[in-house]
Amino acid sequence: MTVENPPRSRFGVTADFTGGQAVLAVRGAVDAFGAPVLGALIDASVARGYPSVLVDLAEVDGVDELATSVLARAARRLAVADGGLTVRASPDVVGLIRSAAGLVRWIRFEPTHGRPGFVATEQPARGPGSRAGVAQSNVVDDLLRMRAVPFDDDAVDGVLRLVVALARAAVGGADGVSVSLRRRGQLSTVAASDRTIQEMDKAQYGTGEGPCVDASRRGRSFLVGSLDDETRWPAFIPRARQLGINAILSTPLLVADRPVGALNIYSRTAEAFTPKDRALASVFGAEASTVVTDAGLAVTGDQLADRLGAALRTRQVIAQAQGVVMEWEQLSAEAAYDLLRDFSRGSGRPLLERAEDVVASTQGSRSDPVAVPGSAPRIVESDRGREQPADATGSQRTDCG
Amino acid sequence: MQRDRSGPTVVDPAYDALDTFRRSAGLTREELWLRYFELGGMSTALELEAFLYGALVPTDHDHDVVAHALNERFVELGGNHPVPYAADGDRG
Repeated sequence: MTVENPPRSRFGVTADFTGGQAVLAVRGAVDAFGAPVLGALIDASVARGYPSVLVDLAEVDGVDELATSVLARAARRLAVADGGLTVRASPDVVGLIRSAAGLVRWIRFEPTHGRPGFVATEQPARGPGSRAGVAQSNVVDDLLRMRAVPFDDDAVDGVLRLVVALARAAVGGADGVSVSLRRRGQLSTVAASDRTIQEMDKAQYGTGEGPCVDASRRGRSFLVGSLDDETRWPAFIPRARQLGINAILSTPLLVADRPVGALNIYSRTAEAFTPKDRALASVFGAEASTVVTDAGLAVTGDQLADRLGAALRTRQVIAQAQGVVMEWEQLSAEAAYDLLRDFSRGSGRPLLERAEDVVASTQGSRSDPVAVPGSAPRIVESDRGREQPADATGSQRTDCG
Repeated sequence: MQRDRSGPTVVDPAYDALDTFRRSAGLTREELWLRYFELGGMSTALELEAFLYGALVPTDHDHDVVAHALNERFVELGGNHPVPYAADGDRG
C-alpha cells in the first residue's frame, strides 16, 4: 500500500507570529470543518495580542461560503480590536469572497497569481515577513505542535467556544452550555454561552460540589432532571435555583480515559432534556474531549507531570530488569529487552509487571515466583517455558492499568 | 483533485500499518510516544512521529518497542497482540 505524506487536501494552518502580524497560512479545503477552526484561530491571534492577521489562502483547495462569512466576521472583530484582516488569495478566490461576504469592506485583499481549487506548483515569491522557519502545524490534528508558536490554551479555548455554541444550538432543551477544564489543578470555565452559565459553574467550583464538578472528577455523566427532586449537592442546588436553573446535564471530557473537565448543559425548564438531547450531549462531550486530546498535553499539564513521572518510574523498573537479565543471561541490552518483551507478550501481561517480577526476584520478595530456586540465570528459561504462544492467548483481558 | 506537490511518499506498508494500528488503538501520537517512552523507547516524540509517517526508518529494536506499546494498549482493550514485531521477521 502506498500512502502519501502529508495527506492531500487535509485542512491545516501554519501560524507565524514572528513579525508584527499573525500570518495564518491555510492549506486544504476551507469548508464546514476548516472554516470554524480558522475563525477560532483568528480569535486566538487577537487574544495573543495580534489584532493584525494575514490569512494566506494562496494554497487552499477550495473556499466555500461558510469560509467567507467566517472571514468577514473575523475582519470586523479585528477592526474593532484596532487591527485588521488581510486576505492573500488568487483573484478568483478574492472575487468569491467579495461577492459572498456582506462585511467585505473590513477585509484588505492581496491578490496572488494562483488559481482557485488548484495549487500552483510555483507559488509567487513571498514578501518580507514570510513564514520561513516556522513549524508546520496541522490544526486540530496536532495542536500540540502549535505550542511551538504562541498558541497554547487560547487556540483550544477558541475551538471549545465553537463546541459550546454548536451544543447550545443543537440541544433542544439547552438554555446555556459551558465547558470546564482542569488546568493547573483548578477547574475553570473556558467557554460559556452567557454570564449566568458562568455563574453556575463558579457556584460549583466555590462549593466544591455539583454535577459539573462530579463529572470532571469521576469521569461519568450526571443528570439533574429537576432541581426540585435533587438531594445531591445540598450546598450548590440553592444557588442554581437562585439563578433560575432547573435542569443540568454534565458530560465528562476524557483524555486517554481520564476525566479532565466537563461539558455542562443547563436548562431553565425542569425535565427539559430528552433522550435525544442526552445523546447529543454525549456527542458534544466526545467532540470536546477530542479537541482537548488533540491539543496534546498542553491543557492537561498536571496530568502530563503525573504521567511523565509514572513513565519515568516504569522506565526505571524496566531498565533495572533489563540489567538483571543482561547479567544473568549474558545478553546485550537489546537482547535482554527482547527477552523481557517476549515474557510480556507470551503472558499477556504488561512489560512493567514482568520487569517488576524480575527485579523482585533479585530481592527475594516476588509475589509471583518465576524462578527456579537457587538458580538465577534459569529464571528466564523457566519462565519462558511457561509461556503460551502469543497467538494462542486468544482475546483476553488483563488487570493492567 | 490532484496536486503537484512533492512530499515524502511512503512505500513500505509497515509504517503505514503502525499508524493504522495507532488509530485503531485510539491513541494520539503524544499518548503513543508516552507509552513508548515508558517502555524504554529512546527516540523523541518527533522522531516517533516520523516513524509513523515513514519519514524516518526506526531500528528493528525501536520498531518493536513501538509495536509493544501498541500491543499493550490492544491487550487493555481486550485484544491480543496484533502488531507484528521485527524480531519475528514478520514486520512489513
